[in-house]
Amino acid sequence: MKSAAKNTPDPEAVEQSGETVEPVIEGQPERPGEQTITFRSIRDEDPGGPEPDEGPDDEGPDAGGPGLAESGAVEFGAVQSDAGGASGDERDGGADSAGSAGSPDAPEASSPDAPEASSPDAPEASSPDAPEASSPDGPEASFLDGPDASGETSGGTDPPGEPADEEVSEPSGEPDGDGSPEGTSSPNGGPVREMPLPEPVSAALTAALAQLRVAVKGLHFGLDVPGSDEARKTQNAVLAQIDDYVIPRVHMSTAPALIVVAGSTGAGKSTLVNTLAAQNVTKTGVRRPTTGTPVLACHPDDYEWFAKGDLLGGLTRVDKLSEDTGPDSVVLVPTPRLPQGVALLDTPDIDSVVEEHQDIAHRMLDAADLWVFVTTAARYADAPSWGLLRRAKERGARLVIVLSRVPMKSRDVIVKHFGRMLDEYGLADVERFVINETAVREGRLADEEVTDLRLWMAELSVDDEARAEAVQATLNGVFDSFRTRLPALARHLETQVALRADLRSDVDSAYMAALAEIDEATRNGSLLRGEVLARWQDFAGSGDLMRTLQLRRGGKAQHKGPERLRALKSALRTGLESVITSAAQRAAEEVVVRWRQRAGAGDRLAATPGLGRPSDEVVRRTARTITAWQDHVTELIRTEGVTKRSVARLVSFDVESLSLIFTVGLLGYGTTDVSVGAGNSALPQRLLRGLLGAESLRSISAKARSDLRARIGLLFDEETLRYVDELDSAGIPDEAAATRLYQATYNLEVAR
Amino acid sequence: MSTVSTAETRHGLGTRLAALARIVELGQGRIDPALITEAAQLLLRAGDRLKLSPDHTVVALAGGTGSGKSSLFNSISGLELSPIGVRRPTTARTHACVWGLEGAGPLLDWLQIQWRHRFARASALDKGESQLHGLILLDLPDHDSIRALTDPEANRLIQVADLVVWVLDPQKYADASVHRRYVTDLAGHDAVTVFVLNQSDRLSHEEQAECVADLEDLLKREGVTDPQVVATSALTGKGIDGLKAVLAESVSTRRAAYQRLEADLDRLMARLAKNVPDLLHVDPTVDGARKAGLTDALCDAVGVSALGEAMENVYGVRSVDWVGWPYARWAAKFRRDPLSSLKLGAVKDDIRSLVGSAVSAQPAEVDNAVQALADGLTAGMPEVWQNGVRQAARGRSAQLPKALSDELSEVAPPLDRVPGWWWLLKIWQYVLVALFVVGLAWIGSILAYGVFKVGKPPLNVLGDLGALPWVGLMLVSVLGLGILSAVASRNFVILGASNERDRLERDMRRRVTTVAQETVIQPVERELQRYNDYFAAITEAKR
Repeated sequence: MKSAAKNTPDPEAVEQSGETVEPVIEGQPERPGEQTITFRSIRDEDPGGPEPDEGPDDEGPDAGGPGLAESGAVEFGAVQSDAGGASGDERDGGADSAGSAGSPDAPEASSPDAPEASSPDAPEASSPDAPEASSPDGPEASFLDGPDASGETSGGTDPPGEPADEEVSEPSGEPDGDGSPEGTSSPNGGPVREMPLPEPVSAALTAALAQLRVAVKGLHFGLDVPGSDEARKTQNAVLAQIDDYVIPRVHMSTAPALIVVAGSTGAGKSTLVNTLAAQNVTKTGVRRPTTGTPVLACHPDDYEWFAKGDLLGGLTRVDKLSEDTGPDSVVLVPTPRLPQGVALLDTPDIDSVVEEHQDIAHRMLDAADLWVFVTTAARYADAPSWGLLRRAKERGARLVIVLSRVPMKSRDVIVKHFGRMLDEYGLADVERFVINETAVREGRLADEEVTDLRLWMAELSVDDEARAEAVQATLNGVFDSFRTRLPALARHLETQVALRADLRSDVDSAYMAALAEIDEATRNGSLLRGEVLARWQDFAGSGDLMRTLQLRRGGKAQHKGPERLRALKSALRTGLESVITSAAQRAAEEVVVRWRQRAGAGDRLAATPGLGRPSDEVVRRTARTITAWQDHVTELIRTEGVTKRSVARLVSFDVESLSLIFTVGLLGYGTTDVSVGAGNSALPQRLLRGLLGAESLRSISAKARSDLRARIGLLFDEETLRYVDELDSAGIPDEAAATRLYQATYNLEVAR
Repeated sequence: MSTVSTAETRHGLGTRLAALARIVELGQGRIDPALITEAAQLLLRAGDRLKLSPDHTVVALAGGTGSGKSSLFNSISGLELSPIGVRRPTTARTHACVWGLEGAGPLLDWLQIQWRHRFARASALDKGESQLHGLILLDLPDHDSIRALTDPEANRLIQVADLVVWVLDPQKYADASVHRRYVTDLAGHDAVTVFVLNQSDRLSHEEQAECVADLEDLLKREGVTDPQVVATSALTGKGIDGLKAVLAESVSTRRAAYQRLEADLDRLMARLAKNVPDLLHVDPTVDGARKAGLTDALCDAVGVSALGEAMENVYGVRSVDWVGWPYARWAAKFRRDPLSSLKLGAVKDDIRSLVGSAVSAQPAEVDNAVQALADGLTAGMPEVWQNGVRQAARGRSAQLPKALSDELSEVAPPLDRVPGWWWLLKIWQYVLVALFVVGLAWIGSILAYGVFKVGKPPLNVLGDLGALPWVGLMLVSVLGLGILSAVASRNFVILGASNERDRLERDMRRRVTTVAQETVIQPVERELQRYNDYFAAITEAKR
């Protein structure tokens, strides 16, 4: 409201109205205990802005000021039309008719209003000077502004007012005024007040929002990294907010405004709502927390709109609170005492032991057009309360602060102190109301305690422009908050993607290291130790090696020791197997260690049983792999080891033995320190070179080695798969989703 | 609990704290470091608190801002000691009031209460206050205001006070900041926690009853089995006497400090013992079968039996050069050698020298053997302890192959060793060859002198035809003797080699066992012992 006042290109009107109001305040010394006086001290810093509110505020509780409310409404209408004049030229055609319809209406609406309204009010009023206070003021204000407004509207444009609606809504002002804001029934319903945004903008915005919604919904945070819980919460909150609030609001910007009453447990939210509704719409009590299900109180005319509308569309509407009311429901209560066009939503607390209340409260706040933050004299320094204020500040929500349960005697000190805290917090220009501590009767406060609030609501009710402006401000705040919240979500998703990549690369690098280790072991001869070496010595030293090579002439292949051959072969196989299983074991442990070092998800994943060791089949698979490789080597020797012709004439050789000699040579025999001995460095190699030729030996070696590598690689791939499966089961974050979200956020910015 | 005397409580607490100290020592690297830190802090705090005045009971008034802690503090002490106010938050520093000053100084120092915030009430001067003698009442700052976010003072004192009085009020009694942060956390501290519903003057009688009932319900839901709730009003003085009585009882028994520490210990132990496995005690020694299994596996890694076999075979083959029948050997030389025909003669020498290489163990197999031992021993243990045993087993397994190689190289005979009797036999064979040559010469001379009458023989026997059959017989016997001794000595060689192999394998096995005992079994057993000790301490401290 204040910003609207600031936007006024014609400050005189405001100033004039302010001046006219001022004396009235001073002219009311007979109510010194009135909170408004203290309240002024807080609000004195506010430049210019507050006057329009001040007027009604100061009018006192009883006056209720239908006239004043009306005056405010007209005034704001004028302001709004001014501001709109610049932007809304395209609506000229409609504006003309609106102007012509509006100009005669405006004075009509206001001038008869004030006297009429004040007179029925008077009996209600507790203080006799109410009519006096309001009647001079009301007409004055309206006469000042009324012609102004009409002049401007007729001269310029009135973009927000739809021509079709205008005809209906303007007459609605009369019964409205007649019936008084607190008032009795009025014939027309809320929906007629709709003022859709200009079509092209709306379409683009709708499309952008739909796209955004899909993008947000498409996010999937599977991995538990620090902050993923918050990210999931934000995602749900944003989704709920888009559904509950943004989309409905964009479509109908001046539909009844939803005022959400939020605050600590025991702050008196329900009591406040009951008092404002003049009816026990929601439960109050000494039990904490009291309210669990949000209660929406609205004027009967708006009832339909809230019952059917998309606002808070995700919640089930119920008429009455009962035992089986689910968590996702809202109680809808029509009450004639609330002004039209504003609805009060009583929310659960934000700080009690019942945590789900906080979630509900925050969801309600996300759907609010205006936030009424209720705190008490005992609570105003509580950390959760300030958390809520920070949230409001971040969201740019239109905020009103109610300091309730203020003991009469320490009122000044508390109000001043709280005011200073708020100022320091950067909330200096937020409207504040003070409610004294009084006895609560039947769940309600004394009516005079809430007069300012009632006035403030009445003003909102009557003044479509002001309401629309407030609603728009909050909506803009929400859009602004998307600017930071959505990229934060996308960034979190990117973190997840990066984490997943890291976890994946942990697995890969562990197994790559294992593979390299095996490579090294099969190359540098470290494998040729222990049994393999002994068997080789046995095989070579006992002369079997020599016997392998038979002179062709000698004819008969007399194999004395096939068992030695077999022993060497199995020793080689065992050696290779143990190298592989040992490497696999270490790789598995390495993966777990690395994962544990990753925060959150990695740690949790690493705790999956069985990941710290190789799979059960690894031994069997390794045995199969090595046997297959040995067969392959034999086959290679048989087919590719085309013996040098000169040799072939003289010597025949046993393929089996030769392949073993070849294997021993391949595994790096002679390169290791173990079998040092002059001249025996590369016995098998030399022998084989002599037999097969250097070229052929090289090619077979290369083939055999790459085959071994490939087979072990395959084996390890299967091992790796266990980790990948585990990772996948935690959910695969989609990198494109982040991009889509960025895009959608950008599109929304463009469409706004 | 109330039947247990203070002395017993103290004794039991001491034992349990000692067990906790062992847990801290043994659990290092096995349990969450945060828990270790917490346990160490508790030990420190318990040590400090038990050293300091046992005659005083530290009672802290804690609560949210505006609940009336300071008012209550002033009501109980009967003095306007702590400033009360309407601005929130009011109290920023802790105030203390002491009933019975002697000995309280160090305790207050320990609590870090500033000098200017200490007040004393000498009970002698206060008639009727004697039952509060020994009370140290603290008025804490709030824990829930925006100021408290940056000030750990209240939190610190709530953690160390002997008795915590939660000052709640009808507005705030269900705040998450009290319940989630403290009450749930301190469930089990029933004996040392009192809840006060202050500002009860704001409620009607029925409302107060409803409120208290609701609060009790709430507390019970949070695990406070027997909540003590006192409704007071610092304003009207209602219920203050009741609260004083509660405090007096606690102060007079002088047990709050122990009960508080016990409750803290219980809470810590509940967390420490959360993941206690079913298997609390393992056999701290590695049984014979497993040891043998390890030795077998290590022997395989070294290739002991293969080594023995190789030695036996190589000896058999090589002995031919020494003790074999020389003629057969010579004959073999004339056979064509495939390698030399391939101009690979050098390879043959390589093969010969090959047999001189040293013993060594295969690292991967050693690793797997140790791994298998650890896995076998740790079945049923929590993973972190399994890892511990595995690490212990592996701790020196990097050196193990080398240690084994070094150790065994000492016993392993060089395969090119030549025993002395091989020389003798070789000489004997050559003697026989020489005899054969002499015999041949003799036969030649007999033929020359006796048959062809070339001349007069220098000796008669050289031309005596009658000696010819005998000489021939001698030649045949020399050859036969050669063959026989070759066969016999070969048998001896094989027998010897087989004995040697047995001895070698035994020897090696023994040494492998020794090495394994030192480098693997002992560390593993130490770790198993640690496991047992740790869980014994847990059981003892839990109680």
